[in-house]
Amino acid sequence: MMTDSPETEQQGQSAPTTTPTKLALVQGQAVLALAQRELKGYFESPTAYVALIVFYLMAGYLYTATVFLSNLATVQAFSETVPLLLAFLVPALTMGLVSEELKSGTFETLATLPLEDWDITLGKFMGFAGVHLLTVAGLVFYPVLLSFLANPTTGLDWGETAGILLGLTLLGLMYGAIGLFASSLSRSQVVSFVIAFLLCFSFFIAGNLARFTPGPAATLLEFVGLDAHLDTLAKGVLDSRDILYFASVTFAFLYLTVRRLQSRRL
Amino acid sequence: MIRARNLTKRFGDITAVDRLTFEIPVGQVVGFLGPNGAGKTTTMRLLTAYLPADEGEAVVMDLDVGEHPLAVRRRLGYLPENNPLYENLEVTDALHLVGRLRGISDPGTRTERVKAVVKTCGLGSVAGRRTGELSKGFRQRLGLAQAIIHDPDVLMLDEPTSGLDPNQVLEVRDLIRELKKEKTLLLSTHILSEVQAVCDRVIILNAGLIVADGTPSELSGSLQNKNRLRLSLKGPSAEVREALGRIAGASSVRVSEACAFGGGTAAEGFVVESDASADLREEVFRLASSKGWPILHLSQERLTLEEVFRKLTAGPEGPARSEGREKESP
Repeated sequence: MMTDSPETEQQGQSAPTTTPTKLALVQGQAVLALAQRELKGYFESPTAYVALIVFYLMAGYLYTATVFLSNLATVQAFSETVPLLLAFLVPALTMGLVSEELKSGTFETLATLPLEDWDITLGKFMGFAGVHLLTVAGLVFYPVLLSFLANPTTGLDWGETAGILLGLTLLGLMYGAIGLFASSLSRSQVVSFVIAFLLCFSFFIAGNLARFTPGPAATLLEFVGLDAHLDTLAKGVLDSRDILYFASVTFAFLYLTVRRLQSRRL
Repeated sequence: MIRARNLTKRFGDITAVDRLTFEIPVGQVVGFLGPNGAGKTTTMRLLTAYLPADEGEAVVMDLDVGEHPLAVRRRLGYLPENNPLYENLEVTDALHLVGRLRGISDPGTRTERVKAVVKTCGLGSVAGRRTGELSKGFRQRLGLAQAIIHDPDVLMLDEPTSGLDPNQVLEVRDLIRELKKEKTLLLSTHILSEVQAVCDRVIILNAGLIVADGTPSELSGSLQNKNRLRLSLKGPSAEVREALGRIAGASSVRVSEACAFGGGTAAEGFVVESDASADLREEVFRLASSKGWPILHLSQERLTLEEVFRKLTAGPEGPARSEGREKESP
């Protein structure tokens, strides 16, 4: 994707009248640099550690409780409790992505570099995606532990487990895009967090509300809500419609973020 | 090369930049001077394509800012107001990051550039330190280093010396003088001595309008309507004052503490004002020598840039269009 080498950069100075043509939608090198910076940034501040520790403790507690109550060797409980936990965790991880830069003024530095708003948005999103993938990878600990406890004849359903983990990965990325958008709305991280949480929670609750809503409204809520989509994945069924659901919501919020950055009314 | 034609930016009903027209040729160092809220920062933000202009055009190195924002940004280095930096990054890492974001993808080339700017900006002693631990002077140098990492043709510095102590101000100015040898440079400031120290040309802004444009000496010359003589001599105060007042052309005489350099020698300071055309120095000398009053100090003063500035931006006879435009960009 990166077509702009430093050589052309420097040659550009000796040929001032030529107008550099736009070569690619995104500049891979810059996106990667930003993503790495964000990912490193997460582990330089205590925010990420605190959020992750709380997340794993809560996830572990809620999960073990269900396992021993139901006496079933399954991580099915993840698909019920973790989406709500992620609605707290992800906004905590994304709240600073743009807010912090707006507050400290570094956004002006970033926005006056030769970067498209898509570069900035994708770079930040990928930084978050990195930390999110690590988070989900950490969750693998629980099913692995469980597999030792499981009845050796039936064992653990790894297909189901993989489906759940994939669902949580996609869900987290979707929440992340929402959080990134929320972060671009305010200089205050707290405000960004609350907006992100409310948006994520709306998607979370919509599916639950569908059960109590009559008629066509229920169908709509079910489609918008994430329950139905997550449940299919949690059964170990890969349905392109569900993947498409997560992907399109994610893309929609990334697009909104770009539009927000373009408006420059920050 | 920077060219602005009828450049206009409004924030609601406030016109922050009002039909600005100017051209800066390659290699010139121009100081934007103006009180806070005059539109200096907004103008720079328009020129860097950070903000879109409402009207008019801006051209940097023959590239239209509105049409080719990215190409323009590749050619220019920009130090925003207050020099925002990513904290928690080591100095060299910060430079590498900006280099990468600027598209210097080859690590070897980038390392060379980082080394070069670390040297130019005198950052060698703090290269391994984190930005958050740097003194303000070093932060400013790092901001400058980031702005020149890609060796831009045009450099825009928004208040590069604000908040620095006098020694740091001098250091940063030396650095700017170093940089100006090969670049078109636009810097904004409200510190007048800065303009006199580093700029070839001054554009004074007030309430979004250009109120003066010229070299520092042109500006102080054109607005000069009084000649001012500062002297300090030993003699009976009242009598000296009276005698000075009788010199043909002298319009006022006052005693000035500031001119009394004599220490314990009972010398007294005076300020004699006259028409801009009159030069009273010889008369004063003759008077003093005939009366036997030793002159310890005598100097003619031109209108300082400070006074020009005050006249143009605040004085009662200053521009009439300054009402209600106090806000800098949001």
